[in-house]
Amino acid sequence: MGLRKYFTLTRMGIIEALHYRLSLYVKIIGNLLYLILIYYLWKAIFHSAGTDVVNGMTFESTMVYLVLASALYGFMEMYVVWEIGRNIQKGDIVVYMLKPMEYRHYLFWELSGSLIVGFLTTVLPTFIVVAIVTHGTIPLGINLAYFVVSVALAMIINFQIDFMVGNICFFTESIWGINMMKQVIVLLLSGATIPIAFFPEAVKNVVNVLPFVAIYDSPLTILLNGNGDSAMVMEKLLIQLGWAVGLTILSHIFWKISVRQVTVNGG
Amino acid sequence: MNKKRGLGFYLKIYFKIIGQDIKSKMSYRSDFIISTLGMILTNVAGFVSFWIMFRNFPSINGWGYYEMLFLYGFSLIAITPVQCLFDNNWSLRMFVYSGDFIKYYFRPINLFFYFQSEVFDVKGLGQLAFGIGTLVYAWGKLGLAVNAVVLIKLILFLITASLFMIALQNAAAAACFWMENSYFILELAFKFKDYAKYPITIFNAVFKFIFTFMIPIAFIAYYPSMIILRPDEVGLLSLLSPVIGLIFFYGSYKLWMLGASRYNGTGS
Repeated sequence: MGLRKYFTLTRMGIIEALHYRLSLYVKIIGNLLYLILIYYLWKAIFHSAGTDVVNGMTFESTMVYLVLASALYGFMEMYVVWEIGRNIQKGDIVVYMLKPMEYRHYLFWELSGSLIVGFLTTVLPTFIVVAIVTHGTIPLGINLAYFVVSVALAMIINFQIDFMVGNICFFTESIWGINMMKQVIVLLLSGATIPIAFFPEAVKNVVNVLPFVAIYDSPLTILLNGNGDSAMVMEKLLIQLGWAVGLTILSHIFWKISVRQVTVNGG
Repeated sequence: MNKKRGLGFYLKIYFKIIGQDIKSKMSYRSDFIISTLGMILTNVAGFVSFWIMFRNFPSINGWGYYEMLFLYGFSLIAITPVQCLFDNNWSLRMFVYSGDFIKYYFRPINLFFYFQSEVFDVKGLGQLAFGIGTLVYAWGKLGLAVNAVVLIKLILFLITASLFMIALQNAAAAACFWMENSYFILELAFKFKDYAKYPITIFNAVFKFIFTFMIPIAFIAYYPSMIILRPDEVGLLSLLSPVIGLIFFYGSYKLWMLGASRYNGTGS
């Protein structure tokens, strides 16, 4: 029934993402350079540590964790904050408000196209290469199914956070600064730059009650240790689900409040 | 008209144009404050991840904690000029696509100079303060010598280091004269600054070569900083880095101007 309108937006997004192929290549080169850097850096770190296992992680599992984190980042970072900020600054936001669909849903479904392209061109190939290169480090079993569910939840959590942060632009007109802060906080506290296992105990306790670990650390931990430890998997998935539902409600409320702030210049 | 203008003339004009930019920025106070906070937060987070990563290990590949910290501080200072003085590069592609870029051709001063002088990014100064703090702290902990000669060397090689990042960004920004959607190239080049804080010796021979001669990331901090950090192990590349830096900068300037000379507006 009503689903068709959503998939039309998905299709639009796919076509748009494929149109900008150059950015895709540049992204791939950038990712490669990043991977080379972290590979040699952590190799040097583990070499200097003198032991194979540091904080419960081996060099291989650290690499799998970080490589897939960067792939997930490339796939989930959709510049939502920028998009909302630009729509507010240019006044286009009014056009979206006239549409027979909530702005939040419109944005999400439009992005879903890029997300599909991103998943097929970044996450899947990276996963296959990593699985082959480090053969054995990623257990191949039921954890893969959990991983996919976990990534889907992470995607929703990430989007809702982005959407709320984007709404702050209604109040401040500062896109760059807001986006910068969001990116820095999410990347550090989610485990995307350094696996959470390496954090000092006290910091770990704080980080674990925040929603950011649900974006990168949860799916990756589930992928690496998900077989046989179904209690841990269920706990992580339930926490993710809780965050996804909670943040969705919160972002809905947030939107209702900030939409009253709309002032559009000229016409 | 064609009389060669001196440095004094350009400096005077520079401060006049910058003054306008700062005035206009101050009128968006909340934006200014939030951007500055964002910048400070970025540096704090960078420091925290550095600390988390290296607190467990006494040394990495023969590099002590404070030596790594020194490199980190050095790199932060070295990327301040590109942040503060060449920030308009980020808007270049917008000017080019919208056609507004044409206005720069009607000024009787150097095009590149005029374009870059239009924006001064104040929030880069927070990064500078952070970098100086880190460098001084590491310097003290390492017990490196402090005297006039060392300080002059430090300034000379900080300027050298900054030239590389400026050159990389100029070249990346100039890509917009040839292609659409060049934002990602600029973003890629901008990320190199984060890679500069690690010693090049962690890489194997192939990547050492690549990061020295093809993508000069190692020059953004590592090679120039060796002059101060490990004066006994200074190699030829460190000594030559000021010259190489000037060549890179000049090359990027020429590329930028070449692109600008190809520009023929957007019609209408």
